[in-house]
Amino acid sequence: MESIGLIRDFLKDRLGVEPENVVPDAALAALGVDSLMMLELMFEFEDRYSVKLSRDLKSPRTVGEMVSLMDGLIAQSKR
Amino acid sequence: MNQRRVAITGLGLVSPYGGDLADFFTRLCAGQSAVGHLLTEDVPRPLSMPFVTSPGFDPAVALGKPLAGMMDRYAQFGMAAAFSAWDDAGFPRQTGHECRNDWGVAWGTALGGTMAYEHGYRELWQRGRERLSPLTVVLGMNNGANAHMSIQFGLGGVSMSHTVACASSAIAIGEAFRRVRSGEATVMLTGGSDVPQAYGVARAWEALRVMAPGDAETSPFACRPFSADRRGLVLGEGGAALVLEDWDHAVARGARIHGEIVGYGTTCDHSHLVRPEAEGQIRAIRLTLADAGLTPADIDYVNAHGTATAEGDPVEIAALKAVFGDGAERLAVSGTKSMHGHMLGASAAIEAIVTVLALRDKAIPPTAHLDQLDPACIGVDHVTAARTGQPLRAALSNSFAFGGSNAVLAFRAVSQ
Repeated sequence: MESIGLIRDFLKDRLGVEPENVVPDAALAALGVDSLMMLELMFEFEDRYSVKLSRDLKSPRTVGEMVSLMDGLIAQSKR
Repeated sequence: MNQRRVAITGLGLVSPYGGDLADFFTRLCAGQSAVGHLLTEDVPRPLSMPFVTSPGFDPAVALGKPLAGMMDRYAQFGMAAAFSAWDDAGFPRQTGHECRNDWGVAWGTALGGTMAYEHGYRELWQRGRERLSPLTVVLGMNNGANAHMSIQFGLGGVSMSHTVACASSAIAIGEAFRRVRSGEATVMLTGGSDVPQAYGVARAWEALRVMAPGDAETSPFACRPFSADRRGLVLGEGGAALVLEDWDHAVARGARIHGEIVGYGTTCDHSHLVRPEAEGQIRAIRLTLADAGLTPADIDYVNAHGTATAEGDPVEIAALKAVFGDGAERLAVSGTKSMHGHMLGASAAIEAIVTVLALRDKAIPPTAHLDQLDPACIGVDHVTAARTGQPLRAALSNSFAFGGSNAVLAFRAVSQ
C-alpha cells in the first residue's frame, strides 16, 4: 500500500479531495479524475519512483486498482 | 438583411483594485491608479517594473481547485471574469431546459498560455528535467480559456480565440457582436484576458523601449497618456468579460440591459509593424460609425487607446480630429490605461466595460496624471477629472494594435 500516500497527496493537492475519501472502493471518476488527470497522476507516479508505465496500460477504475497497479510496478522496479 | 439589436446584459472582471465592478468604476472615476511595482525573483536578473497585478486574486477560491488546476493563469483570469459576467446576466451556470447550441464564446488573448510554456522551459533548461507534465498542452493552448467557458456554461455554438495583440478583445467583442446581430447566435460570451509577466515576455517588451520606468514609489504615476512628460506604457495582468444578447431575448426574460453595442469596424494600416498611422485609424472609426448608423455629432465620449507611448498618442488624436472635424474640440476623450494599465488582450474588454459604464452611469472617468498636455495631443476635450451627471448618448472605444490592426467599438446608452 505504498502508493496510497502518493495518490492521496495528489488528489488533495490537485482536486481538493479529502484523504479519508480516497479508499480502495472509491471510483476514480467519482473523485474527479478524468482522463487528463489520470495522465497527470501517472506522470507524477513515474517521476517519483523512476518507473516507466507501458503505453497500452489498461486504465484503473478504482483507487484500489490504481494502488495494486502502482505497488506492483514499484515492487518490480526494486528487484 | 433583418438585423437584431444587441443588448449587453452581463459585465464582469477581475478588478486590479481587488473589489467588485462598482468599486472598480468608482475608483476609476476618482482617478485612482491601480499600477504598482513588480519585483520578481527571476534568475539571472529580476523583473523590476511598473505593473498592474491582482494580488488578491486566488484562482482556487474563484474557480475551485479542480478547475483552476486545469488552466494557465490567463485562462483563470478569463474564467473568473466570465463567471462574474454570466452571474451578472442572470443566467444559471448549468444548462437547464433551454438549448444553448447557438450560444458561443469569442475570446481575446494576445499571449494565451505563454506562462505554461515558460514553466516548461524552466523545468527543462534550469532544472534539468527531461519531460513535462502532460497538462502543458491544454494549459498552453490559446483557446484554453474559451474552451473552458463553453464547457462550464454548456455553450454548443462557436468557441474561438482571437489573437490580435492589443486589439485582441476588441476584435473578439466585434466578431461576437456580429454573430448576435445577424441572428447566428442568441447569446455570445466575449472579452479577453492576458498575463504578460512571463519572464521572456516582459524582457522582450523592455527591449522595445516603450515601457515606462518606475520604482515602488513612482510606479502609480508611471503611465501618463497625452502628457508632455509621458514615458511609455505599463503592462498588467487582467481579465474582463461581457455577455452580448439578442435584444428581444433579453427583454423577454426581463434581463437588466447595461447598454447597447451598435457598431464595430476594423482595418489594417498595412504599412508598418509598430508605427501607427492615422489613416488606418480614421478608416476604422468611420467604418464603425457607419456600421452603427451614427454620425460624429452623436458621439459624446471616446475611450482612447492612449497607451502613453511617444508615437501612439499624437497619431490617435490626429485620427480623432480628422473624423470629428470642428466637433473634435468638444469631444470628451480619456485614456484609462493611466490607471488600469495595458492588459494586452484584456485591454479592449476592460475599456469596453468602462465605456458601457460611462454611458449607463452618466460619468466619464479621467485620464489620470494629465497635468501638462503635450502640444502634439491638443485638439480634443481631454477629461482630466471625472465628469458626473453627463447625459451621454453614444460612445466609442478605440484599440490600435501592433501589427497595424485597428478595431473600434460603438455603444449606445439605454434609457433606464
